Amino acid sequence: LNLGNLKLDRIEETDTNGIINLPIGHYSIVKSRCKNKHLSPKLSIYGLGSCIALILCDFNKQICGMSHILLPKSTTKNINYPHKYANLSVKLLMKELISHGAEREHIRAIIIGGSKIFDLDNNMMGFENIRATKAELDSLKIDIIKEETGGSRGRIIIFDTEDLSLCIKSSGEDKYKKFKYLRLKKEINEIL
Amino acid sequence: MTKQNEQEGYTFTAEQLDTLKELGNIGSGHAITALSKLLDQDIEVCLTAAEIIPFWNVAEVFESPDIEVFGIYSEIPFNSDLSIMQIFSKESLLKLVDLLSFDDKSYAHIRNIEELDALSISIIREIGNILTGHYTSALADLLSIKLVPNVPTIALDSLDTIINSIIGKYSKISDNIVLIRTKMTLSDIKIDCIICFIPCINILKSIFKILNVKYNMNI
Repeated sequence: LNLGNLKLDRIEETDTNGIINLPIGHYSIVKSRCKNKHLSPKLSIYGLGSCIALILCDFNKQICGMSHILLPKSTTKNINYPHKYANLSVKLLMKELISHGAEREHIRAIIIGGSKIFDLDNNMMGFENIRATKAELDSLKIDIIKEETGGSRGRIIIFDTEDLSLCIKSSGEDKYKKFKYLRLKKEINEIL
Repeated sequence: MTKQNEQEGYTFTAEQLDTLKELGNIGSGHAITALSKLLDQDIEVCLTAAEIIPFWNVAEVFESPDIEVFGIYSEIPFNSDLSIMQIFSKESLLKLVDLLSFDDKSYAHIRNIEELDALSISIIREIGNILTGHYTSALADLLSIKLVPNVPTIALDSLDTIINSIIGKYSKISDNIVLIRTKMTLSDIKIDCIICFIPCINILKSIFKILNVKYNMNI
């Protein structure tokens, strides 16, 4: 696997609402342990169509990673944006999380997206993205705790790394649906 | 947060850009003349922009990527992928449907494409057919190739969702997307439309060859 010479460019600034918008093919790692406001931003993706938003999180240590996946599989040899592909993104995000101190057995996954915007027979992109991401998570034995996939509408998601809550809004709806995951931290602690 | 650099100098020469712009001008010129005849209205056309954009930044080139729009998407079967995407703001297209149909139903508050009746859908599809048909026939004449577009599909969603949902197909082999877009306005009845012509990057080789433009791009 040739990943080329990856030039990494760090962004630590958020917009006025404390939100970092994650473009396609990019990823982000946030450690929320530091109680500094600038270090627990909200991660958002606007216009999530057939793409997948993958969130991997160590709920015990509050280290989360999110990536914005475009395609199911890498087909070319020269890869400049590995997080564009589901098969590479899952592996790399996992590796990155662990290198930032997350513990493998505490990592859970959330996947959102993969809708079919244009109703064409040969438009299977969303479906294949979901399948590839799940297969990859399955082979690494990571549990999916929340899945909001499929459908025919786009989505907006905002993941708050401070209190580990996730807001999802489909196009054509007025309100965000909010899911809280902070309680998972306790549950995971109890199991162990 | 880590973000990868915008990389690789993948640019067009001025001649290549001009060629692509001219393709857009010719195609959209024909398409817009047809629409103008249909509506019996004058249409203002902005200049065509031809760009090569990294795949993750495509939605950002539009003025307001978060507004709700209708996307009319038609694929053109050729030896590689070509497509035409027409983007109308929601109000514009509903106004057009109003103009072209004779019943007085109001769709101003629809949130979902299923709320439109069959007649309106077929009017929208016909607008799409007319614009795409004229666009591609002009290109086909110019390039002396056969281009027949498929029947368009329609979606109502935010602009960035619509754009992001199709770029997957065009960025399989390359990290860059070629986008040739023309904006038009009917100021009397306030209708905005953007016609985008999206060729897959490996088809440019044959287009440039036909038009005798120098081409030495490594994909």
